[in-house]
Amino acid sequence: MIQRMSHATIFVTNQNDALEFYRDKLGFRVHTDAMVGPDFRWLTMCTNDQPDFEIILMEPKPGMLMDEETSKTVRSLLDKGVLGAGVFNTNDCRGTYEEMKAKGVQFVSEPAERPYGVEAVFRDNSGNWFSLTQPTGES
Amino acid sequence: MLPDIETLERLARARDFIDHCYDHPLSLDQISEKACFSRYHFLRLFRQAFNKTPHQYLIERRIERAKELLRAEDDVRVTDVCFEVGFQSLGSFSSLFHKCVGHAPITYREKARETEASKRQVPGCFIVMYKLESV
Repeated sequence: MIQRMSHATIFVTNQNDALEFYRDKLGFRVHTDAMVGPDFRWLTMCTNDQPDFEIILMEPKPGMLMDEETSKTVRSLLDKGVLGAGVFNTNDCRGTYEEMKAKGVQFVSEPAERPYGVEAVFRDNSGNWFSLTQPTGES
Repeated sequence: MLPDIETLERLARARDFIDHCYDHPLSLDQISEKACFSRYHFLRLFRQAFNKTPHQYLIERRIERAKELLRAEDDVRVTDVCFEVGFQSLGSFSSLFHKCVGHAPITYREKARETEASKRQVPGCFIVMYKLESV
């Protein structure tokens, strides 16, 4: 039986820029940053509270997993901002929203009461959108 | 134009001979003998069929094997690799290796080790999906 999730991929337009964004604006830290051969960079990041869940920041480069057309398609999906990659939890949605906003993170929607808690929605610097949620009962 | 089937079979026999005996000093006479062609006729036909000369094929085979040995865990010496894959002189091995691979044997080994260490941090499915097995 599956116990838990350990890795998930987020496609980003540029790994260096994504690293800076996730580290400096979201407060993540680098878990692993290693080159495998000349073209493949394995870059994963995690939150301090969940070091065993790695977010893989991957460029949709042509030539390995993707052909030229697929790569272009993924990039255009990123550019269009239609890819929603997940939900991050916080124990203070409004406070975190203010902090992130002050750092220049772009929000799609401000913190609002939902049936399951307080939620805001932001984008990373590649166009992926995420929910920033403070689940009911957490403060 | 590609040689006929019978000729190709004979050429393949000679190529198999290289594959099996690349670690010995091989002459063109020895190789062409396996295909029952005169050496110049053989040379021309071989190049026509495989886009390289028998000598080039032999060198490639040796270099590939040398790369395998250099990547292996135990610390085999470059000199030993050189003789093990059939070269007679360290100088010609090193310069041919550099020409084919882009690095000196010792540098190649260091780089390969680094790549292996990195690879161990990446889940196997990514290695497969991103075609990194042979990197």
